[in-house]
Amino acid sequence: MEKIIEINNLTKSYRKRKSKEVIQAVKNVAFNVYKGEILGLLGPNGAGKTTTIKLICGLLYPDSGEIKIKGIPNTVRRLESLQHISAVLEGNRNLYWRLTVRENLEYFAGNRGRSRKEVKKEIDELLQMFRLKDKENELVNRLSRGMQQKLAIAVAMLANTEVLLLDEPTLGLDVQTGLEVREILKSIVKNYHRTIIISSHDMDVIQDICNRTVIINQGTVVIDQRVDELIKLFEVRSYRLTLTEPLSLDQQKAISARFPANEYVEDQAHSYLTVQLEKSEDIYQIFQVLQLNRTPIDSIDRKAIRFDEVFLKIIQGDHQYAMD
Amino acid sequence: MQWINLFRANLRKEYLEMKRYLPNTIALVLTFYFIFLGLFGVIHFFGDPSTQDANIQFVIVNYIFWFLALSVIQMFGFEIVNEAIRGTLEQLSMSPMGIWRILSTRLIASTIIYGIIIFVLLIITMLTAGQWLNIDILSIFPIFVLTVFGMYGVGLMVGGLAIVYKQIQAFLQILQFLLAGLTFIPLAASPFMYFLPFVIGVDLVRDIMIGGQTLIDIGWLPLTILFINAFVYFIAGLLFFNYCERMAMKKGLLGQY
Ligand SMILES: Nc1ncnc2c1ncn2[C@@H]1O[C@H](COP(=O)(O)OP(=O)(O)OP(=O)(O)O)[C@@H](O)[C@H]1O
Ligand SMILES: [Mg+2]
Repeated sequence: MEKIIEINNLTKSYRKRKSKEVIQAVKNVAFNVYKGEILGLLGPNGAGKTTTIKLICGLLYPDSGEIKIKGIPNTVRRLESLQHISAVLEGNRNLYWRLTVRENLEYFAGNRGRSRKEVKKEIDELLQMFRLKDKENELVNRLSRGMQQKLAIAVAMLANTEVLLLDEPTLGLDVQTGLEVREILKSIVKNYHRTIIISSHDMDVIQDICNRTVIINQGTVVIDQRVDELIKLFEVRSYRLTLTEPLSLDQQKAISARFPANEYVEDQAHSYLTVQLEKSEDIYQIFQVLQLNRTPIDSIDRKAIRFDEVFLKIIQGDHQYAMD
Repeated sequence: MQWINLFRANLRKEYLEMKRYLPNTIALVLTFYFIFLGLFGVIHFFGDPSTQDANIQFVIVNYIFWFLALSVIQMFGFEIVNEAIRGTLEQLSMSPMGIWRILSTRLIASTIIYGIIIFVLLIITMLTAGQWLNIDILSIFPIFVLTVFGMYGVGLMVGGLAIVYKQIQAFLQILQFLLAGLTFIPLAASPFMYFLPFVIGVDLVRDIMIGGQTLIDIGWLPLTILFINAFVYFIAGLLFFNYCERMAMKKGLLGQY
């Protein structure tokens, strides 16, 4: 697979204006992005997602490390590398509010050296696809937040670059608009062959759209894995045992001692024990504990795990065994 | 071709925004009209002693000169601060054309638009006042273009400061006074004057308008000096701007206001 973006040893810190305190926003980050891939950059607030994206876009200069876009080092040959990149940054302040929808598209295309005539057909297509056709002559400050976000994405699409970066594309949108933007992103993935990086702290968005995810926490990469594999990895190790008799206190203690993250609930007929295992063989340790009181097992299920649960576990530091 | 499309896009944007901010534009146009009218009124009031006439003409041309030079100097800084406030500065920095090229075409566009407005207004004023200036445009124009080119270098420096410090309004105000001061100092005052921007151009215009000289009378040497002066300022401005842009990228200042 062709590497479109190579990131090596990237480090960036900010100095706060007043206190002069130094914040390490990104530490030794390294990952690659391959042609045609949809990569999700996932992480909690302040993880360093925006910083990473701005470093890729050449808006920030790294303290150390290197980013290559199609083999072009983006600090040394910055403008050249920008020919392959377009981005929608966080928030809604990346358009000209006193220009109309169409004028914005035309202006930004012009800034990349393209004429109005040249882009007319593409603009029509994009307006259609983003369902903004009836708003094309509306001033941007009259648009809803969701429409502005759609327009910002359309502007980035019009740049016709191989790589498209989207920083929190669904942030601040209501549920319905968020879903609409998500649908649009999916149709971009399906109809245009672009390499896309989406940052988000909404796991749903990433799971829905991306093939691979890089999870960063406190400025470092903690996971770099295919989304489906990541879920499987955790799924395999997440077991739910249905028992026909309740566990004794001793048994519960024994299990908690070995598996701190277990969940245990009882109802009238059954009791349920959910455990995360580091290795599949660890299930035998559970059997041992159950054997103490000869607690009968009704069934053992692999628990279907949601992506947001995986994410939470990783962020809480439960990731050591996902990296191996 | 890319340059032309870039220029056309920015010319159109300048025009559209002038149209959208119509009250501002009208206020600007009216201000010019009344200033010109006032200056002509002075000519009329004092009658028409020939020396005074030349002086007034010089004042009018100098005023136009001063206004355009000032707007060339300030525009870079103002545009950068405005774009930073709007949040579009980062968007511009991501264009493979680079900020300075985009803003340069915008500057050329707005200079042309202002130039046309001023030219038309001057003619209208002359019509209303029934007084006709006798200006050697052919001689003044090349000097004007070269001087503005030098001012553009200074504008790039101001833009560089704006990209890093953002709050440059106070500084621009001071600059405005300095520039107005430079208009009145003759070149002959000190050889040091040759190193300043703007002064050579104004001095040559003075020779033409008051001394009645033509380009041929002026000769190659002063024009060459003017050209070198402008060129050096332009290169220095460009280098300084790029240095500041890189500094802003290091400190993460592009997205901030
Ligand atoms: N311009 C800046 N000056 C100083 N500190 C900054 C600046 N930008 C970001 N930071 C700090 O750097 C760290 C990483 O910020 P960043 O914006 O990259 O995180 P993020 O993952 O995008 O978070 P969010 O989900 O909130 O958008 C944070 O601690 C943030 O406070
Ligand atoms: Mg962010």
